[in-house]
Amino acid sequence: MAKMNEEKTWKCGKCNEELKKKKTLFEYMGHKFSHEVPTCPKCGKVFISKELAEGRMAEVEEQLEDK
Amino acid sequence: MKMEEATRFTSRCINGEPASCSFACPFHLDMRSFLEKAGKGRWAAAYKELKKSVVFPVIVSTLCDQPCRERCQRTLTGDEPIAIRDIEAAVVRYAKSRKPEAYFIPPKTQTVAVVGAGLAGLSCALGLAEKKYQVTVFEAREGWGGCLREHSEFEKFDEDIKLQFSAVSVEFKFGKEIKSLDELDGFDAIYIATGQDGSSFGLSDSWDSEMLITSNPKVFMGGGLCGASPMEAIAQGNELSKTIETFLQTGNVIKSPGGYDKSYCGRYLDHEDARSVPLVKATGADGYSEQEAKQEAQRCLKCDCEKCMRSCEMLALFRKKPHRMAIEVFTDSQSGSLSSRTMTRETYSCNICGYCKSICPESVDLGELLRFSRTARMNAGTHPAALHDFWLREMDFSTGEGEFRIVPDNSEYVFFPGCQLGASNPEHVYGAYNYLREKYNAGIYTSCCGAPAYWAGDEKRMNGNVERIKREWSEMGEPVFVFACATCESIFSIFMPEIKRISLYELLAKDESIVPAEAFSSASVFDPCAARGDENMMEGVRTLAQRGGIQLEELKEKNRCCGYGGHMRIANPKLYDQITENRSRAGDKPYIVYCANCREVFASREKECRHILDLVFGLETGLDIPSLEEKRKNSLNIKKTLLKELTGVDFVPEAHEWDSLKLEIPRDVQKEMDERLISESDLKETIWMAEKNEDRFYNETEDVYTASMVKPVLTYWVKYKKKAPEVFEILEAYYHRMHFIEE
Ligand code: SF4
Ligand code: SF4
Ligand SMILES: [Zn+2]
Repeated sequence: MAKMNEEKTWKCGKCNEELKKKKTLFEYMGHKFSHEVPTCPKCGKVFISKELAEGRMAEVEEQLEDK
Repeated sequence: MKMEEATRFTSRCINGEPASCSFACPFHLDMRSFLEKAGKGRWAAAYKELKKSVVFPVIVSTLCDQPCRERCQRTLTGDEPIAIRDIEAAVVRYAKSRKPEAYFIPPKTQTVAVVGAGLAGLSCALGLAEKKYQVTVFEAREGWGGCLREHSEFEKFDEDIKLQFSAVSVEFKFGKEIKSLDELDGFDAIYIATGQDGSSFGLSDSWDSEMLITSNPKVFMGGGLCGASPMEAIAQGNELSKTIETFLQTGNVIKSPGGYDKSYCGRYLDHEDARSVPLVKATGADGYSEQEAKQEAQRCLKCDCEKCMRSCEMLALFRKKPHRMAIEVFTDSQSGSLSSRTMTRETYSCNICGYCKSICPESVDLGELLRFSRTARMNAGTHPAALHDFWLREMDFSTGEGEFRIVPDNSEYVFFPGCQLGASNPEHVYGAYNYLREKYNAGIYTSCCGAPAYWAGDEKRMNGNVERIKREWSEMGEPVFVFACATCESIFSIFMPEIKRISLYELLAKDESIVPAEAFSSASVFDPCAARGDENMMEGVRTLAQRGGIQLEELKEKNRCCGYGGHMRIANPKLYDQITENRSRAGDKPYIVYCANCREVFASREKECRHILDLVFGLETGLDIPSLEEKRKNSLNIKKTLLKELTGVDFVPEAHEWDSLKLEIPRDVQKEMDERLISESDLKETIWMAEKNEDRFYNETEDVYTASMVKPVLTYWVKYKKKAPEVFEILEAYYHRMHFIEE
């Protein structure tokens, strides 16, 4: 789902580190779940692309709202 | 929530109830279902349906005098009623197997005596025997059939009776006249059905015509003896078999549920779209051929109210019947985090426009049901906050920084433009207010009526707002409020009826010196949903347009929601598109609107339209719609300008550190932002914070940045390019609703 090598294209602006896929915990409408997303290995900042936000994430959001 | 709190909204809905003809039928035959089957040539299935209700299909299809035909809605298309008896006869003829079903249930030990083997006695005996009670029929004559024995077609009827009794065991005692009920002492229940001149064993005085009971708890009485026609006698006997069964099981006589109110025979639908189809005539001497019977049955209009579901796009999309929707609103309110809800999308996809109520023969308001559901969910904290977040924040702005009032002493009128009129086009507010001030020494009070809270089901915000407005109103000396927005006016009428209201358009129309521009030679007025019932407002707009020389053509459907109502577009963007598209195609002529939201919807669809105030004040506004950012600026500018001009006060809008940033937003990105309701200032804030703290992602090869900002409901993201120190080009703007939990 995540685009080709977001980890390589983007760097954390603060730490100047390449991003790494990391399991991240999400929460919505009282449900918790985890998903692998590009993250700065140093400060832990999470990167969400438009594709992910408006694709799979929006889908899950809608499912959870309808639940 | 209690179940009734939800079902009370739809309790009057007649969907699924029998059609008018079924109410007229002594057997309450489910005509829709029967004719559906016959229309498809499913003879066996149709026969089964017929037999279930009429007990003796041959007798009934020969002798019934068809009271249903007088209540057939086919006549509304100018045609003859459905030839029901001829279809019944055809069904009997073409059903391959008419053998009655054998019921595999254990035999009961209780015994029932039926006195009289006429139609009433036979149908009751058959019903009880099918349930395996021990039934004995006593008949003075030498055979069954009662009054039919003398009929010329008795042989045919005799066959039918034989057939129907072929799968049950009943003891018939012919030639046995019962002289006294003492002879039947050993039976658990007795049915007296001795026919027209038969004996009532002295019980006729105590007979109850509704329950068919007598003063002796185990003795029932009915049929021709009590004045029933042959058809009624069959129907009664069949019904009574169920009553007696309950009596044998519980010792009580209970009226069977779902009583048939004969007055419902008159409940006709309007069948607007039905076309005339003439009665099918039989070509052969023996009645309908298979083809003819099918064709005749297909003339049935299947009368069942589905009006709202056919008219409202939302209801049509989800295909849920009103009764079911109410039940699901209730079950949704009960479901915890483990069970799932089934009505969320419907609940938040409704325009709360009241159109369903306006066309429903029983005035059922499904919008109110769904608003009730939104309120319940908001109160329970189970609402999807993202769906209404934007508008609630707009409301906070309009009742906060955007609010102001300038009211001269003793003003009789105060103009309440609402939040959208000026945001969408400040000239409308200036024009209207200058006029009202000069002519009536009116004041102005701009705020928000509370519609966003009303639509979101936010009771607390709504009530707080109402209290605040009432306070302001009393401080102003309780003036009459002048409304330019139908939604404001309708919200006031519901929550603040004590505040006197008048529509701006009514006031303008009264002034003969106002001659609006003739923007079109002919046009249609598109009345907003909220103006429904407000004749003065709707008339005022028409008077103005016509005075301007515009020929008006009325739209077929009035007061339909443009799509904006209920703030449903985030919950269901596709449906929103469909609705706005349908509305902009509702008339060929250009539209004259008097709601800022309607105008923006049609402008976004490139439907030629003008606000009536454009014509009144001679303004040239095209189809452009201000961005969200521009709208806020417009509102603040009006406040600044009017305060300065009329009171000399300098209003300085709240300043933010990011105000000085300049964003270059390409058209397509701006369009997406408008659709998603992302405003420029959200992006400025995001970028400003990111740049200040260097808290953003960087793509070296393309030299672009991505930054995010977490707000209570949404997390915003923006991808941008630095053009100059304070100038940024926006490449992407988006958000998500879920939150990540940092560990
Ligand atoms: S219009 Fe809708 S709510 Fe009203 S009776 Fe018909 S089906 Fe029921
Ligand atoms: S209120 Fe309007 S949108 Fe909602 S169900 Fe009724 S007609 Fe449809
Ligand atoms: Zn980092």
